[in-house]
Amino acid sequence: MIEVRELTKRYGAHRAVDGLSFEVKPGYVAGFLGPNGAGKSTTMRAVLGLDRPTSGEALVDGRRYADVPRPLHHVGALLDANAVHGGRSVYNHLRVLARSNGIGVKRVVEVLEQVGLAGVARRRVGTLSLGMKQRLGVAAALLGDPAVLLFDEPVNGLDPEGIRWIRHLMRGLAAEGRTVLVSSHLMSEMALTADRVVVIGRGRLILEASMRELTERFQRDVLVRTSAPQDLAAAVERLGATVRHEDGALLVHGLSAYDIGEAAAHRGVPVHELTPRSASLEDAYLELTDDSVEYRTVAR
Amino acid sequence: MTDVLASEFLKLRTVRSTVYLLLVLVLALSAGVLVSYLMTADYDSQPPDVQANFGAADPGMVVLPFGHFVLGVLGALAVTSEYGSGMIRTALVSVPRRRSLLLAKSAVVGGTSLVVGAVVTFLGFLFGELVTGDRPKPISAYDSLSEAMPTLLANTASLTTMGLFGLGLGFLLRSTAGALVTLCGLLFVLPGITLLLPAPWNERLYAIMPPILPPQLAGELPGAPLGQWAAGLAMVAYLVVALGGGALVLLRRDA
Repeated sequence: MIEVRELTKRYGAHRAVDGLSFEVKPGYVAGFLGPNGAGKSTTMRAVLGLDRPTSGEALVDGRRYADVPRPLHHVGALLDANAVHGGRSVYNHLRVLARSNGIGVKRVVEVLEQVGLAGVARRRVGTLSLGMKQRLGVAAALLGDPAVLLFDEPVNGLDPEGIRWIRHLMRGLAAEGRTVLVSSHLMSEMALTADRVVVIGRGRLILEASMRELTERFQRDVLVRTSAPQDLAAAVERLGATVRHEDGALLVHGLSAYDIGEAAAHRGVPVHELTPRSASLEDAYLELTDDSVEYRTVAR
Repeated sequence: MTDVLASEFLKLRTVRSTVYLLLVLVLALSAGVLVSYLMTADYDSQPPDVQANFGAADPGMVVLPFGHFVLGVLGALAVTSEYGSGMIRTALVSVPRRRSLLLAKSAVVGGTSLVVGAVVTFLGFLFGELVTGDRPKPISAYDSLSEAMPTLLANTASLTTMGLFGLGLGFLLRSTAGALVTLCGLLFVLPGITLLLPAPWNERLYAIMPPILPPQLAGELPGAPLGQWAAGLAMVAYLVVALGGGALVLLRRDA
């Protein structure tokens, strides 16, 4: 369980995180979304005790991270895959981290096999590709078999096979009852991985919702095909919906597919197709964060 | 705490820079022995009146300055290599108690510097004695081990201090370049510059430069500005400033 309460982090005059509160509970993958510079990494660093909050707090299982003895047994984190000493071998890098938390070399070998790096265990970390470093970072996060996991942009640099692997891994970790928080600036990626999303912009919470709620909230209209369009249009308009005609189909706004179906059945109108249409999650995300994009190109 | 200590020692052993630095010390020791040998050979070919004015053929003359620098760099790199690569964040996620990290790093760097410093110092003495054989002073630096002991211990203390001083600088500056420039300045540049200052500041400041402290600590410089105690305190002061400042930065600033 991760609790962020009224977290504020100021760098000089700039508020990287501004009164942010949210919770992540065990058992699902929580997507942490926001444009570049929204404060995702700062929030994660505050959770891990790397940055001291200006005010507010960030707790893991009810405790400040710095108060957790041998924390790798409780929390695993992948922050920046490049944040490793390039001169050490893959095996030694993990051994150093494991040793600091009393974890044996047997477990090091296990995670190396789990992430598919057993074949390069003797290679120096500096010679790995970004994708392999991401796997190394995941291996480090898994060392202590922790109940809480934080991944900051884990798919950066991964190939399609790697992306699928990490998606599968995160869903598996959540299914085992672990708390999983994954940040990304790509909604399309989160749409496939996350069960819930926390969307932030300019350091503030924009939305915390389940994927389903998000989809419903951004439902646009219902597409209906029927052999008696005039009849049905009149029926749903009486129920308060607005109707547009398009390509021989009706686009009904303001009424659920359920209600439209009921109305059609009531009047004995045959329905050939009944499709609720949503804005894509990508569109929804862009709409949500539009006001809070910090760095954007100027349209000319 | 034992876990963190073991992890830090493992860190030191698993980077190549440690090996290279120790290799430099072996080279310095060899060069010191070579210089002593050449001096002794020259000594043997000179008439007695010239012999009486010879300097001591002591490999320590070469080993000590190299040792100061190498161990200072070793200590600094133990921290700055982590800040430079970002590894420090990974390290602090696995050991979030910064005081533990500082203590473990200090123990590992201090212990390593002590052992390495003692080994090169005593080997330097031993090889010096082997080279000069039963020749008298001044070509032989010491008549006996017990006579050499204060110097050897002072040099070892000074080498250990430089290792920890470098570590403190690393925490304080977080930058390899910054730490190296500071070390070079204090060890090689400033001592020469202090002598250009008007009296009495030239002598006073020169006396507290790191390379000048060990002979004063050993009490082997007659009429030295600092007594043995004062020289020892000056060494401790270097440690307190660097490690204390480094600790303050580590505990206060975001990683």
